[in-house]
Amino acid sequence: MLIDWFTVIAQVINFLVLVYLLKRFLYGPIIRAIDERERKIALRLEEASRKKEVADLEAENYRRKNREFNERREEMFSQIKEEVEVRRKDLINEARNQVDAGRTKWYEAIQREREAFLQDLRRRAGRQTCAISRRALKDMADVDLENQIIHVFIERLLSLNRDEIKALKESIHQLPQKISVRSAFKIPGKPAGEIKKALRNQAGGHVDVQFEVSPDLICGIELKLEGSRISWNVDDYLETLEESLLAALESKAEKVADRLSDK
Amino acid sequence: MHITPDTLIIFQWGPVSLNGTIFFTWCVMALMVFSSWLITRKLSTETHLSRWQNLVEVLVTGIRDEIRDISSHDPDKYLSFVGTLFLFIAVSNLLSIVPGYKPPTGSFSTTAALALCVFVAVPLYGISQKGLSYFKQYIEPSVFMLPFNIIGEISRTFAMAVRLFGNIMSGTIIAAILLTIAPLIFPVLMQILGLLIGLIQAYIFAILAMVYIAAATRVQRKEEETGRQSEKGDLLNG
Repeated sequence: MLIDWFTVIAQVINFLVLVYLLKRFLYGPIIRAIDERERKIALRLEEASRKKEVADLEAENYRRKNREFNERREEMFSQIKEEVEVRRKDLINEARNQVDAGRTKWYEAIQREREAFLQDLRRRAGRQTCAISRRALKDMADVDLENQIIHVFIERLLSLNRDEIKALKESIHQLPQKISVRSAFKIPGKPAGEIKKALRNQAGGHVDVQFEVSPDLICGIELKLEGSRISWNVDDYLETLEESLLAALESKAEKVADRLSDK
Repeated sequence: MHITPDTLIIFQWGPVSLNGTIFFTWCVMALMVFSSWLITRKLSTETHLSRWQNLVEVLVTGIRDEIRDISSHDPDKYLSFVGTLFLFIAVSNLLSIVPGYKPPTGSFSTTAALALCVFVAVPLYGISQKGLSYFKQYIEPSVFMLPFNIIGEISRTFAMAVRLFGNIMSGTIIAAILLTIAPLIFPVLMQILGLLIGLIQAYIFAILAMVYIAAATRVQRKEEETGRQSEKGDLLNG
């Protein structure tokens, strides 16, 4: 007989015991572990999903900030550009003003120097002219220049026209002080008396005359009246020289100025 | 030569004898329980698994999926019974490559015991699902079918036992015979074939058991569906 009932019963019991033991040691723990892992994975997926939402929000926030930053940067950039442009124009204007001021100062300085130079030139030229004239007169006509000047002055006094005589008389009456005759040299007594005599003749009465030496009058003699004067000096001759020199100087200065402005 | 390990007496103590079937069953049980304990002692619930845990998880998950496919129910209710059937038969058969080992499934007593367990488990699962009305299926479609249904239950149980016993016993005997005829190479090939047959038989046995259990529980579902349909009909009519 192939079947042994004792063995069958024993095997049934064995099988039931095995079912229990495997349930206890195999299926139970494995299923619990699988369930636990699935739960953890689900939690992690949920967590990941939540984090993804947070990350999406953060990314959106970041993109928005980036956009705002770019807009703000563009705005600031254009503002700075405008400010720089304004500042550049200000600086250019300032520099231009400074240059203009410097040029003006330079012109003024040149003007002053020119005037000083002309004054000096006039004085030197007058003196030199006097010296040359004096020498020439002495050498050629044996005549003293000063005496000749006084002589010419007296002739000038004696040949006054009607208006000048009228002015002379008014001056004599209006001026409380003496009439001043200024000369570049000291007038000796005799020529001085001749001058007084000539004045008296023209004024038609007593005239108090005061003689003064003034080095400003280059080689000349002068009688100052109210509103006019009667004189003879080299100044009149020097006027022409001064005018021609002035014209030459101005033309030179303009050329220099043009060259500077070109640079 | 022993046709069945029942005749192989390992230990005799008076009238009580320990035959090969019971002895090797204990060996298999000890091996399975000890291995299970070793593997499930430190189970990881993280994504990183040990190889052994991975293996048993694949096994258990595979069995659950099979049960779910067949029964369309929560597999955990049947896992212990069906899974143990499969694992016990499979391990018993696979160990036949160990020299000196006699598979307990090569004993008709063992296969009969397992078939008896299925024979009892099927109505138990049916009753646990439906109660005593489970027995109604034996008198369907008419009461005259009752003897045939009972005979069908018994015969299919007997068939399960004989099928497994025949396959394993024949494999063992063929291997033994071939060893005497052609001792080189050929027995190895037959042994490999025997392993395959052993696994297939384990699968067949477990699947059949599950199919029977599913058939027992499907009765209830049919009735539930019928009940729902009659409710719908009442609603429509009423």
